[in-house]
Amino acid sequence: MEGILAIWQRDVIKFFRDRARLFGSFVMPILFLLIFGGGMSGTMEELVTSGLQVDENFNYVQFVFPGIVAMTLLMTAVFSSLSIIQDKEFGYMKEIMVSPISRVNIAIGKMLGASTVAFLQGLMMFALIPFLGIHYDIGNLLQVLPFMFLLACSLASVGLLIASLLKSTQGFQLIVQVIVMPMVFLSGALFPVSNMPGWMDIIVKINPITYGVDVMKKVMIDVDSLSPLVREVMGLNLTIFNRPVTVLEEVLFMIVFTVILVLLATLSFRRANA
Amino acid sequence: MQNIIDVRSLNKKYKDHHAVKDINFQVKEGEIFGFLGPNGAGKSTTINMICTMLVPTSGSITINGFDAVKQKSKVRESIGIIFQENTLDEKLTAHENLMLHCKFYKVPKRKRGARIQEVLEIVDLVENRDNRVETFSGGMKRRLEIARGLLHYPKVLFLDEPTVGLDPQTRAHIWEYILRLKEKEGITMFLTTHYLDEAEISDRIAIMDKGKIITINTPAELKKELGGDIIELSTKNNSQVMRDIEKDKNIIDVTVQDNILYIKVHSSDAFISQFIKKLSVPIETLNIRKPTLNDVFLAFTGENIQQSPETQSK
Repeated sequence: MEGILAIWQRDVIKFFRDRARLFGSFVMPILFLLIFGGGMSGTMEELVTSGLQVDENFNYVQFVFPGIVAMTLLMTAVFSSLSIIQDKEFGYMKEIMVSPISRVNIAIGKMLGASTVAFLQGLMMFALIPFLGIHYDIGNLLQVLPFMFLLACSLASVGLLIASLLKSTQGFQLIVQVIVMPMVFLSGALFPVSNMPGWMDIIVKINPITYGVDVMKKVMIDVDSLSPLVREVMGLNLTIFNRPVTVLEEVLFMIVFTVILVLLATLSFRRANA
Repeated sequence: MQNIIDVRSLNKKYKDHHAVKDINFQVKEGEIFGFLGPNGAGKSTTINMICTMLVPTSGSITINGFDAVKQKSKVRESIGIIFQENTLDEKLTAHENLMLHCKFYKVPKRKRGARIQEVLEIVDLVENRDNRVETFSGGMKRRLEIARGLLHYPKVLFLDEPTVGLDPQTRAHIWEYILRLKEKEGITMFLTTHYLDEAEISDRIAIMDKGKIITINTPAELKKELGGDIIELSTKNNSQVMRDIEKDKNIIDVTVQDNILYIKVHSSDAFISQFIKKLSVPIETLNIRKPTLNDVFLAFTGENIQQSPETQSK
């Protein structure tokens, strides 16, 4: 248990020391906020309100903000897992591997380290809320935190598994490019994914971000006050096997997803020095 | 004395390469055990197997009474490893590095402060405890790694090329620390090095070549086995000298390296005066010495350790 804590602690200490990374990882989400929030919100809002012939107070930024937070979680979680490869390159992984800590605890510690860092980074995004002209209920914001952390864990486990399999940072960059962007776009984080072709829909349904973002939206946005049509257009009626998913199911999915990937990473650690 | 490491019929085979061939050896508790061999001899493979980082193809390894395959965790608790390359976290301070190690090795909480202080004292880094490792010199980093390797009171300390890349003065210091440790703590040390003068501090030396252990003995015995004296000679015309001494019965062996003739004789006392008379070319330099470990190494492996090809066994 203490091994997990030690590995986690190291990553968190290093996160706070590395100020460049702290601010650097904000760039992408803020860029997306500008594009999706500023650039597209007018179009989207007009599309929704005029296209549906409903006169409603609909704010697209309000809708997209949880998605941008999820994207921040993904970026930070995956890039924090990069530290595993850096540890391999700079030798520290050897110090960990020859120690008596069990391999599964190494994987859990690393996963929790990356998720904590991602979670903190996501939390910092909340500081932007006042500047975006949107408003969330404080209670809702507090409520969303555990779900955010859980989503961060799922995403960190993706990074963990990739990093455990690779030896160099170069390969990591490439794989991240191939995996991160599709994960963002095929998740409903930035735009609704309700009318996707079959194969894409499968990716959407096994993507933990889909469920994470859905829960976050359900908690942060007062979904019930929106008209059913807006909910439909904004993809808030997520279904699986033709019936609506519950929050509990979404949470379960993320937990199972994380556990499976952490176990796979453990096997990979075990094999690496077996 | 008890055997702290016991290796029996150890084998490691890769697809196309038999890296370790049925080796046997024992390391006694409290001794410094030198483990030498040219690059590619199978040293690293053997050490990795002993340190539980590699699973043997066959054979058994027991460390501190624990099986290196079945009781990995127990073995890991019993050993400390100082790697050839830096494995410190440079972004953290010396103290943080040591504290993490305590946690990895489950050093009891209330003992941690005292232990950290103790090992920092051994390597003279008490004043640098709160500085980040990235500000340290190469020698300081090495010392900190040694300190870290000692934190959990290992039974055996593995030192893989502990002084490689350091200047001679720092090297001498590191050895001082290591010897101090041996005296104070009685820790068993398993040492690999390319500097054969450094291997002299070993109580016993094993030489490995081509996957086999070819000899194990004390440095003194190894040199005695080799016997005789070595005359190092350089002249204006070395090939003429070769012809001059061709038929001399006193000479055991002659090798040439970098324009210097290494002439091995049973005893230099009687030989040298008549030898010099016989030479037909002027002498440039002349040196008579007892065999060193380097000569032993050369005799056993046919290679000079410094010049062995840079190929790793993998």
